[in-house]
Formats: sequence, C-alpha cells, structure tokens
Amino acid sequence: MINSNLNLLIGLAMGLNLLALGTSRLPALIRAMSAQGVILGVMPILMGHELDWQVVLVALATVAGKGLLIPSLLRRAMRTAQIDRELDPQIGFVASMLLGAGGTIAALALTHQLPLLPEHSGSLLVPGALATVLTGFILLIGRTKAISQVCGYLILENGIYLFGLLLIKAMPLLVEAGVLLDLTVGVFIIGIIVDRIQRAFDSLDTRKLTTLHE
Amino acid sequence: MTGLLLLPAVILLVMAVVVGARWPRLWLGFTLAGAGAALGAALTVFPSGGGWEWQSKFLLGGETVHLRLDGVSAVFMALAAVVGGAGAVYARGYWPDHGHPATAPRGRVWWSALVLSMLLVLTVSNGLHFLMAWEAFAISGYFLLTLDPRKPAVRAAGWLYLATSHAGTVCLFAFFTLLAARTGGWDLGPLRADASCAPLFWLALAGFGMKAGFFPLHIWLPSAHANAPSHVSAIMSGVAIKMGVYGIVRFSGWLPVPPAAGWVVIGLGALSALLGIAFALAQNDFKRLLAYCSVENIGIILIGLGAALLGREHGDAGWGRLALAGALLHVWNHGAFKTLLFFGAGSVLHATGTREMSRLGGLWRRMPWTAGLFALGSVAVAGLPPLNGFVSELLIYLGLFDAVAGRQASAWAAMPAVIVLAMSGALALAAFAKAGAIIFLGAARTKPAAAAHECDGWMRGPMLALAGICLVLGLAPVLLWPALASAAAAWHPAWAGAMSPEPLATLGWVNLGLAATLAAAGSWLWRKVRANNLRRAPTWDCGYGVPSAKMQYTSGSFAGLAAGWFGWVLRPVRTLRRVRGHFPAHALRLERVPETVLERVVFPAGGYVMEVSTAVRRLQHGRLSAYILYVVAGLAALGVLVFMESLP
Amino acid sequence: MKSLLDLILRLDCWLLLAPLLPGIINKVKAWVAGRRGPPVLQLYYDLARLWKKSVVMSTLASPAFVILPAVTWVALLGAAMLLPLGPLGAGLSFRGDALLMLYLLALGRFATAWAAMETGSAFEGMGTVREVSYAVLAEAAMIAAVLSLSVQSGSLSLATMLTPSLGASAVLLAAGLFIVLLAENCRVPFDDPNTHLELTMIHEAMVLDHSGPPLAAILHGASMKLLLFAVLLVQAVLPMQHLQPLAAAGLLAGGVLGVTVAVGLVESLLARFAFRRVPLLLTAAFLLCLFALLVAWKGGVP
Repeated sequence: MINSNLNLLIGLAMGLNLLALGTSRLPALIRAMSAQGVILGVMPILMGHELDWQVVLVALATVAGKGLLIPSLLRRAMRTAQIDRELDPQIGFVASMLLGAGGTIAALALTHQLPLLPEHSGSLLVPGALATVLTGFILLIGRTKAISQVCGYLILENGIYLFGLLLIKAMPLLVEAGVLLDLTVGVFIIGIIVDRIQRAFDSLDTRKLTTLHE
Repeated sequence: MTGLLLLPAVILLVMAVVVGARWPRLWLGFTLAGAGAALGAALTVFPSGGGWEWQSKFLLGGETVHLRLDGVSAVFMALAAVVGGAGAVYARGYWPDHGHPATAPRGRVWWSALVLSMLLVLTVSNGLHFLMAWEAFAISGYFLLTLDPRKPAVRAAGWLYLATSHAGTVCLFAFFTLLAARTGGWDLGPLRADASCAPLFWLALAGFGMKAGFFPLHIWLPSAHANAPSHVSAIMSGVAIKMGVYGIVRFSGWLPVPPAAGWVVIGLGALSALLGIAFALAQNDFKRLLAYCSVENIGIILIGLGAALLGREHGDAGWGRLALAGALLHVWNHGAFKTLLFFGAGSVLHATGTREMSRLGGLWRRMPWTAGLFALGSVAVAGLPPLNGFVSELLIYLGLFDAVAGRQASAWAAMPAVIVLAMSGALALAAFAKAGAIIFLGAARTKPAAAAHECDGWMRGPMLALAGICLVLGLAPVLLWPALASAAAAWHPAWAGAMSPEPLATLGWVNLGLAATLAAAGSWLWRKVRANNLRRAPTWDCGYGVPSAKMQYTSGSFAGLAAGWFGWVLRPVRTLRRVRGHFPAHALRLERVPETVLERVVFPAGGYVMEVSTAVRRLQHGRLSAYILYVVAGLAALGVLVFMESLP
Repeated sequence: MKSLLDLILRLDCWLLLAPLLPGIINKVKAWVAGRRGPPVLQLYYDLARLWKKSVVMSTLASPAFVILPAVTWVALLGAAMLLPLGPLGAGLSFRGDALLMLYLLALGRFATAWAAMETGSAFEGMGTVREVSYAVLAEAAMIAAVLSLSVQSGSLSLATMLTPSLGASAVLLAAGLFIVLLAENCRVPFDDPNTHLELTMIHEAMVLDHSGPPLAAILHGASMKLLLFAVLLVQAVLPMQHLQPLAAAGLLAGGVLGVTVAVGLVESLLARFAFRRVPLLLTAAFLLCLFALLVAWKGGVP
C-alpha cells in the first residue's frame, strides 16, 4: 500500500515532467518544477521506515529548498530582470513533449531489463528517476532562456535525487549531504545567472541612454 | 478446369499483342476475353483451395516449364485480370487513335504485354522463368509509361523507373541464384523447413520492395504515376506495385524467414503508411497525391503482412491469419478504388489538361459523373464505412488488437501500428477531402476548368464497374471469405482450418443497413428541403463586395496546417514575399514539397559517388608508360604482401 | 417484440435527450456569469423552427450540399447506437464495433467537410482545414483510449470493453477523453461555439451557409455527438456493471450531467486557446490516453 502511494507520487512527478516540457510560460515551468520538488520532498517520509529524525530532516530540507526557496528566488530574478514570460524553444513544445513521453516509456521498458533489488522491482523509482533526468536534459538543450536553463538543471537534479532515494535506508546522511550539496550548487548558479542578467540589462540601458543623448 | 481457362487466357492475350497495333476492336475483344478467362481461372482455384499445378517436359532455357496457381497467386491474378480489362476499355476513350495516332497502337500492344507478363509472373514456378517474366513485366511497364516520350518529364520519369526497377532486379537475381545454389535447382516451391534459406528474405524484401514502393524505396513511384497516361497509372498503382507485394507474400510463405522479419515489415509498413499519406496531403498535383497515397496503402498492406509474420512466429496465432486476410483483402480493395480514382483523375486531366489542383475547381457542374465516382472512391480510400476500404482495415485492426491482447512481445509492435493506422486513416480523410474539394467543388479557378467536359462512355463504364466492385466488396465482404481463406491456407498450411468469418458477416449486414439508412435519410431530407422551398443565392462571404474564385482555399492552404506538423520530413521549399505597407502592391507565397528522399538523399549520395569516380578516373589517361608503372607497383605490392606473409 | 421496444427506447434516448445538453451548458454559463440565460429547451425550439423554414443554397453548391447533413446525422446516430447505454446494454454488438464507431464519426466528419467545401467560401475552407487536421491528433488519442480499454478488458466490443476499474488508468483516461470531447465537439478552449468572428471558429465556420432542415440535422447531430462522447467518457471511467439497473441508469445520467456541467464550467472559466497551442493540448490528450494504456497493460488482468 505504501509502495503504491509512492508510485502514485512518482507518477505525478512524471506527469509534471511532461507539463514542464509542454508549457510555453516561464511561471508555469517554475510552478511545475517547485511542485515536483515538494512531491519529492514528501517521498522519504512515505518510504516505509520508522520516522527517523534524519529522514524527516531530509524531507523538510528538500521541501523548503526545492519547493519554496529556489522557486521564490527564481521568481524574484524574473521580476527584477524583467524577463519575458514566454519561453522561446529550440525544440518545439509538442516535439519535446513527445520526446519526454518516449523517454518515459523507454525508461519503463529499460527498468525491466535492469538487475534491481527485489524490493525495488515493483517501484517506479528507477524509471521515474531516468525520465526526470531525461526531461532535465531536454529542457537544458531545448530552451534558451537562462532561467529556463536553471529550471532544466533543477529538474535534472530532481532525477538524481530520486536515484538517491534508493539508498536512503542504507545511508540517510549521504542523501542529506547530497541534497545540501545540490542546493548549494543550485543557489550558486542562480546567483551567478541573476547577476549576469542584471548586468546585461544595466549595460543595455546605459547604451540606450547614450544614444538618446546623441 | 483452371488450366483449361488459363491456356485460352494466355493465347488470347498473345493474340491481342499481335493484333493490337492494327485492329483496335479485335484487340479490345481479345484483351477482354483473355482477362475474363484469367479471372475465371483465378476464381476456380478458391473453392477447391488446393491450387493447380502443371509440369511439362518442354524445356525453356534449359529448365522444364512448371506452372502453379494457388490461393495467393490467384488473389493477385483476379485483380490483374479485372484492372487489365477495365483499363483496356478505358484506354479506348482516354488514349484514342484519333487523338494519339502515333502512340495509341503501341500503347495497346504493350498493355496486353503487361497483363500477359503479369499473369506469367503469377504462374511460373521456376526461378529462371520468374526472372524472365519479371523482366518482361518491367520492360512493358516502361514502354507503357513512356507512351508520350516528347515530354522531358515523361522521359525522366521513365528513366528513373527503369533504373530503380533494375536495381530491384539485381537483388532478385542475387536472391534466385542464391536460392538455386542452396536448393540445387531453379524449381520453386514450399521449402518451409530449410532454415538456411531464411537470410535470403532480406534480398527478396529489397528486390520486391523496390517494385512495391514502400517508404524509402518509393523514389520512382510518384513521378512515374504522375507522368504516365492515366490508365497506365491506374494499372501500375492498382496492380503492378502489387506484384512486389506478391513477391514478398509468396516467398515469405514458401521460405522460412528470419525472426526479425515481422518486426521489420511492420515497421516499414507503419513508416510508409504515415509518411506516405503525409506526403500525399502536401501535394498539389492530384496524380502525385494519388501516387503517394499508394505508398500509404502499401504500408497498410505491409502492416497486415508484418502482423501475420509475427503471428506465425509466435505459435501460429489466429490473429496472424486475420491480419493476413486483411492485408490480402486490402490488396484487392486498393486495386479497386485506386484504379477508380486514377480513372477519375484521367478524366479530369483529359477534360482540363492540367494536373494542378489549384487551377481547377467547380468541376462537378460539368462532370457530375466523374465527381460522384471520385467522391465514392475517396470515401473508400479513406477507409470509411460502408465501403470496402473499411472492411480490410477492420480485419487488420482486429489482428493487431488481438496481438495486443495476447500480451506477448509482438504486442509492442502491434500497439504503435494501431496508432499509426488510425492516424494515417485520419490523414487520408484530410487528403481526399482536399483532393475532392479543390478539384470538384466551389467555383472554377481558371478558364480551362470552367470549360471542362464530361468523359465519354468508354471511360465512364469502367469507372462505374469499379465503383460497383467497391460497393459490393463493402456491402458483402463475406463473399470474399473463401478466397481469403484459401490464400491464407496457401501461405501457411497450419491456418487451413475453417474459421467462422463472424466479424465479416456482421459487418456486411451493418454496412448494408448503414447504406440503406443513408440513402433513405438523404432522399428524405432532399424531399423535405424541396417541399420547404429551395432558393439559390450567392455564398455568404462576410459582406465582402467583390468575391472572386481566387479567394477560395487552394490545395496548399488546405494542407498547410497538417503538413506543417510533418515539415521535418517533408522539407518544403518556400518562397515568401511579405505584405508591406498600407496598400501592398503584391505579396507572394509559394510552397513546393520536393521528392524529399530523392532530392535530399539519393541525388546527393549519387553526386558523391560521381565525384569519387571522377577522381579515380584520373588514373585512366592512356599513357602507356604510366600503365606499366601501375603494373610494376601492383607487382611490388603483391610481393611485399607475400613476403610479409612468409615472415614468422 | 422486446427488441423492437428496446430499439425504440434507445432511439428515444439518443434523439430526444441529446438536445438537452447544449441547453444545460448554456444555462451553466449563464449561471456563472450571473445572467438568467436562454431556457434549457432552447435547442428544441430552434430545431422545430428550422425544420419548417425554407432553404437558401449557394449558387455554387450541388444538391449534395443539402443531402450530406443527412449523411452526417445518420453516421452519428449509427455510432451512438453502437454504444451501450448503461442497463440497456448495446443494441448491436460484434468484435470490432468500437472501431466501427470511430470510423462512423470519421464518415460524419468527411460528409460535413465535403458539404462545407461545396460553397467555395474561404471561411468554410478555414473551418474544414482545422476540423480535418485536428482530427488527426484526436483520432490518435481516441484509438489509444480504445486500445487501453481493450487491454483492460481483453475484449474488442463496446458492450464488454467498458468495464472500468477505478485507479490511475481511469483518471488518466478520463482526463484524456475529456480533452478529446472538448476538441471533437468544438468547445472552448478549442473553438468558441458562441463567437461570431469567423476567424476563430472551426465547426461553426463549416456550417455557415446551411439553413432550414439541413441545419436542423447538423445541430441535432452535433448535440448527439456531444451526448455520445459524454456517455462514452462516463462508461469508460465509472464502474456500473455490478449495479442494479435503476442505479446504473441513475449513475449514467448523473455522470453525463456532471460532464455537461464541467464543459459549461470550462467554457465559463477558460478563454479559447491560440490555434498554435491546440496541437499541444491534443498531444497532451494523446499522451494521457497512451499512459492510461501503459498502466492498463502493467496492472491489468493477465
């Protein structure tokens, strides 16, 4: 029963992957990503172990980081840099959605071939992780805006986190450390990119002013 | 009985070849009688199910003559006979002596030669003789195709046809010689146990596939079908490409096939079905549209055949037989409605002199018969009930759905095939709604279209006959069951048992009821409208003052939306001059879909080969001293090789 | 005798109840907007009025222009008669009738498209192109849905294949079929049935030039199509085969009512999509049905 609840959550996360690939609006992309983060955050609690404080900590950290902190940072960046809300795709939305769906099906088929532990065989963890990683890659390749790149990166990282959940029973601290590391990298990247964008816009503004002066 | 009918068929057709040039009436009589006898011969095979075989002491090319007609070949022979006869009648109106004094006699001779050689291909049971008949068939096709050699486009199409046809024949030479080498003789027959012959299937698939024209090998087909005279396009599309299908069906039935064969065939079929109809939708030339639609239908047939191969592979599953029956029935159906459509296209071409849809329009007024029959053919080709296209597609669907329900590995081939089949059906509907609407409906776009004339009785008669066949096959498909069952048994003897054609019987009644209800409701509404008072007025055009025929949707704008989704493979060439300013002088948007595989893949590859060969050709310059140098260098190289070998 | 009664009852259900649905949708829309709106029976009045009116026909059109609406109507009615109606079951059932239903819908589409092109009007051309093109994607979604139902039940006739089990598959299927319902019946967000701006229409643009009894046949056919999709959606998702006949009928009616109200709500709360986003939504419907198929494949009976 717990396993099926987990599968339901992973299924939702996979659906959010397709939503992220299909949407043409930046805010929707950020929403899909943060919802996925929250879903992933809840997962460790449902993994069927006694409520260890470490596990709860991992869950709380993930929900706070992926679900609240990073999306709000991204939204702020979007506002301050006045980025256009429309995404401009290099791979069309329909095409990337079909690619993502094809990848998901391939991941499901592949998982049958992999030598997994019996406790993981009925679970969607591995295909979900593969599909999410693939979604991240498609977003990274197929979208040009800086913020959508960050979203792509974060979805990719969600996939890696799903892989990490396979190990949570053995080494919860490792997973936690991985989460924190990812968070640091994510925030780091956002910082750099937001800074870059703001600088670019500033310089653009000054040039406009000079042309007006002339 | 079969032999008694087949012999006169051959004799009559030979006589038709002889008299064709001088006596057109006699020729027509002989051809029709020959076709009738061949049809009769094919029909006698079905009830017995056993087939007919005849071996003589007579030697031809060092081999004894061995003839055979079983369920599989009889299905194709019946089709060849019907289309061969109908086309002969049609040609009298379409390509008459007074219109084409130089070419009409030649056309008659080659027509009978084509039908005759196809009958021989279907009956000979010896590899060497098969190749001879196949070559005669290809050559007579070439001469029919280039009946009007003054046009450069026709010559180019003929050359392409000849080149690709022989590329296919090369594969067939390899196939038959390797087969003869393995079996120790040229004689053909069932060899289902000899596993060493299995890899030869790929050669047969390539060789016969070139003629069948499935997707990557279809390069010759659009230009040949578009440029040939329409009755020739009809027999090429309706029957000649089916000879390729016949080859694949025949030798996949007689010989063992590799395990991957079913997967490859179903994949090629799905590819052809989807891309063929996508290309068809994007065409502006209506004969090219029909040609690409043939690629789609070959794809549908291959989907059925691939499912049959998978079914045979997975323990003689019953769904394989359903799919095979569907594929063979689709061979028949496509032959009937595509011939009808090409005859209709010929009638339009005859009346207006153009193949471009965007120059036509409103033809129903001048050509009501052609318009109605073309519409009927369109409904059939789109696979809509109550006509015949739906029956065969339903059989293939049933086979595929059962394959999915079987939950074996083959389900993974069947599921995508079902989805592709449904999508190509919807695209075919769009393509033929477009063809019918742009050619026949609305207002005439040019003067020739406004001055069109209805075709004469010689052309209308065969069209009516074929429309009747479409209707009968749709309303009473159960009549065909014996033929399909005997063909399935000949293909795979384990499927010989009787299977109740329950879906077919029910479907026949449903189609009959549907057709009756449609007719009743239509006439009722018409009468009601007449009773309520019918008034004519101009089309409502949003208050625009000066409506013109040019404001109608053209073939390009009709296809634009859906063809845009396939832009990644269609690769249209666009010329665009945008609208500028408040009072734009003129704007332009031209879009042409090239023969993508030919122009983007085959030609560049050929160009590369030419470049390499030109570079190599520099070695060949005629200076004797240099040649001696080559010989010395070669000897030295050989010596070094031998020396290296001798080293420990 | 019993079968005759059954036939009459079934015909009554489809012919008489179908025009209720557009009325309910309009009532819901009016209610959300705070208006009183037209009466629920408005379409009945319209049909009666149109049936008595005379017909104006384009000078370019052939007699087929007034006959083809009858073809569409018969095709839609035929498709509806194949669909089981809760406790009534299916009127006619054979292997593959699900496919016949899909192809009858296609026949209706072909007839409508042909009639629309008869007039030679650019508006009708525009509507026809959109209708036949979007149908390609909708058809893919429909066949995936039929496949998933067939995998789930191991059957290929509508009478036995509509035996759903509650679960992820049903949810996915419901979402996918609902999108297809909106697309095939030309509702918001694909098309706006109320608009009078021809550039934004699909179905309405195709029937602009029809009048009198043929228009009545078209409107009645459209309402039957809506009812057909609603009934299909409800029976594909809600398990009712073990219920008492009366309860099943009630559940079916309630489900159809729910779907209709949902359509009305979607129409009130959502704007029509830009046409370039329509393929995206239809692809999403296809993928939903495809994943329903995969779930059914994995979790279904062996």
